[in-house]
Amino acid sequence: MSSVWSDRPFLIVLAAVLATALLLVVSIALPFGLSAYLANAIGQLAAFAVLALSLDLIWGYLGILSLGHGLFFGIGGYVVAMYLLKHSYEVTGKVPDFMQFMGWTTLPFYWAGFGFFSYALLVATAVTLLISGVFGYVSFRSRVGGVYFAIITQALVYVAMLLMFRNDTGFGGNNGMTGFTIIFGWPIGQRGVVIAIAAASVVALALTMLGCRLLLQSRFGVLMIAARDDEVRLRTLGYDTLLLKLAIWCLSALIAALAGMLYVPQVGIINPRLLSPDVSLEIAVWVAIGGRGHLIGAVIGAVLVNALKFWLSAAAPDLWPFILSGLIVLVAFVFPNGLVDLAKFKLHRPLISRQLSSETPELR
Amino acid sequence: MRWLCAILMCLVAAFAVTRSCAAEAIDRADLVAKVCGDAAAMGEAGRALIRIAAEGSPEDRNWAATVVRAAIDRKLSCDATGAGSRSPLLSLKNRALFETADAAFALRGSPDPARRSSALRTLERQAASLPEQLFDAAIHDETDPGLKAQISAVAQGAALNSPDLAKRIAAVGRIAKNPDRRTLALVTPLLNDPAYAANPEFKRAVDSASAAIHRGITIGDILATVYNGLSFASILFMAAIGLAVIFGLMGVINLAQGEFIMLGGYVTWLVQESLRVIAPGLVEWYLIIAVPVVFLVTAAIGIVLEAILLRHLYRRPLMSLLATWAVSLFLINLVRVTFGTQNLQFVTPSYITGGVPVIGDFIFTWNRMFAIAFAAVTLILTWGLMRLTPLGLNIRAVTQNRTMAGCIGIAVRRVDMLAFGLGSGLAGLAGLALAPIYSVNPQMGQNFIIDSFMVVVLGGVGTIAGTIVAALGIGQINVLIEPVWGAVAAKVIVLLMIIGFLQWRPEGLFAVKGRRK
Repeated sequence: MSSVWSDRPFLIVLAAVLATALLLVVSIALPFGLSAYLANAIGQLAAFAVLALSLDLIWGYLGILSLGHGLFFGIGGYVVAMYLLKHSYEVTGKVPDFMQFMGWTTLPFYWAGFGFFSYALLVATAVTLLISGVFGYVSFRSRVGGVYFAIITQALVYVAMLLMFRNDTGFGGNNGMTGFTIIFGWPIGQRGVVIAIAAASVVALALTMLGCRLLLQSRFGVLMIAARDDEVRLRTLGYDTLLLKLAIWCLSALIAALAGMLYVPQVGIINPRLLSPDVSLEIAVWVAIGGRGHLIGAVIGAVLVNALKFWLSAAAPDLWPFILSGLIVLVAFVFPNGLVDLAKFKLHRPLISRQLSSETPELR
Repeated sequence: MRWLCAILMCLVAAFAVTRSCAAEAIDRADLVAKVCGDAAAMGEAGRALIRIAAEGSPEDRNWAATVVRAAIDRKLSCDATGAGSRSPLLSLKNRALFETADAAFALRGSPDPARRSSALRTLERQAASLPEQLFDAAIHDETDPGLKAQISAVAQGAALNSPDLAKRIAAVGRIAKNPDRRTLALVTPLLNDPAYAANPEFKRAVDSASAAIHRGITIGDILATVYNGLSFASILFMAAIGLAVIFGLMGVINLAQGEFIMLGGYVTWLVQESLRVIAPGLVEWYLIIAVPVVFLVTAAIGIVLEAILLRHLYRRPLMSLLATWAVSLFLINLVRVTFGTQNLQFVTPSYITGGVPVIGDFIFTWNRMFAIAFAAVTLILTWGLMRLTPLGLNIRAVTQNRTMAGCIGIAVRRVDMLAFGLGSGLAGLAGLALAPIYSVNPQMGQNFIIDSFMVVVLGGVGTIAGTIVAALGIGQINVLIEPVWGAVAAKVIVLLMIIGFLQWRPEGLFAVKGRRK
């Protein structure tokens, strides 16, 4: 794989992301510039793009499709929601809604420490690593892969959703958690704060892109692609693919959790719907539409599909599912590698080179 | 009304004369005299009337019922007996007696079940003081099964509290023959009864009855669990068998399988509605009539889907996964836009309502039996199709080795198409079996899809035996765990068990032996 600095399409997208970040940072200080609403939408799109990157990392570059990435997204989201709720509770004294619903006067014991962000970060990392590590180890060890793996991850996120729908778990039950007022001591609804969170999300997206790109051009990245293209041969050559797959799987889960932590403060609510199998499937759809096996494909797919969704679910809510299913079928037939295939048409050559699209074989 | 009563009294007198010679016959004149007598005599008359209700012949009962009704309504004129023109006034105590008698007659003779039921409620309060023949006779005559059970329950309660110890022991023994939670509630208080400590025979009877009831309840609960598990498993099997055939054949997981179940439910509903218009007499039988329609319609939709979409994605199973999800999204929303999101209303046919109480609290319900029988028939037909027909032979050949099967001249693509149609049709039939016992709405398929995937993953690819065993196992485990830790815990535990199991046999229970890929 060519060096980052000679990969023009990647650099163009990265520059666009950085420019957006700059625009947002400038808007914090200035009274004009982006409105809070627009900034919030951009921030959410950035969080989705990070999530899509996490899935692209294992699906596009390791050939493992997870239909349960919403689980890790949800873990990040729930942990950050717990932090926001506890923090808001400590600062304002406003009792969280779900405690009132359940008639509780104190938070359950496992909420202790969630008033500190560093602790919440630690918990999110630990829980994500624990679940992804254990699940990944048992699955990859017994060489569960392909469709089997996809189905089991889907069942995993489904079970998590059922668990979270219970009201007695202390995580808000079916109403979820909402009513966040304070983040790091700042009121969360203020324009400056909203834009700052969005800017942080876009910066996180840029860093994730860069990090993934650097990982992919390292020896480790070469091994990943080798494992995707012919795992048996790689094993025969003496590489331990279990460790390789497990490491990337856990890394991907962590990135998904990061996306969740960026997403929830911006929408201001988390509930078990986020863990429904449909949401996780949609992540795979973003990546498929944008182009698997290309980092920019994941980013473009997530941003385009979600921007379209934001617009259409307001303009024509009944139409959206039909358009989404149509897009998937279109991608499946016309652009097997997603929108990156547009490079086949000379018109778009400056943006995405032909060399790039021929670099990865048509994925299974 | 007065003249009516007078005529009645004349009739009474006439009857009394003509029938006084019969040995069994009651002395009507004497009874009437008592009814017209003082308070003590009227009390005696009340008790006598209750006896008539219990033991009397139908004519006697009819006659006595009129007398009682007249006495309560103060329409009884005592002229005919020569005691002076007056209507006897019931004292409070006697009024209660007469009302009991009235209820007893109503229980025996009223043609209206609601009246009999209300009479039973009146009698229930003083059941212990009533003659037991009253209830025995009423149980014997009763035609309504629900009311019959209620009467026997009251009778049992009465016998248990009867002052006669022998009767109580007999009653305890009788009760133990129908063990369930209700009889347990009847017997348990007897352990604190003074007679339990005083009389060893009574103690023995109560102890053995209590043990028998406990045993019966345990057996009933076990049977009920097995039965519920079996019915759940049969639904799982129906949902999963099509999935397993398709997965085994083409390596494609059809995420739209749940929507074929949903479509099956909707086609069943459409059949029911068109029967309502075309042949209202046959609406009851819509479940049977819909079988071929549902199978053909869902199979046709499946074949179309295969021909225009999945055919082109066989080399890319993960992409076909997404494509079938797109189809599922499309179908759900199409149905939602066309029919709305509300649950469909189904006629519950008489042949799947109710059930047979077997033992304990286990009721052999016909609607569950329908699902089980339906799954069994489907299983036999599918098995026959796979084993005995040329198509089945081809499907098995392509499943084992697609390239080789193509080389020896099997039309692989055609087999794919037909198998996909078969799988979709079977899913549609699952929707049909679900229609009378489950809510049919656009989202219903989503609730089965993950469970049926688990069945396929656990059972192994493309084997009917694996699908059966996995469906039975998952169904039973779910039903076993559910009452203890709840439905969510059941799902979590089942999933963890499957992941653990795949450690041991990654290819599923009944994997075809071969090289590990």
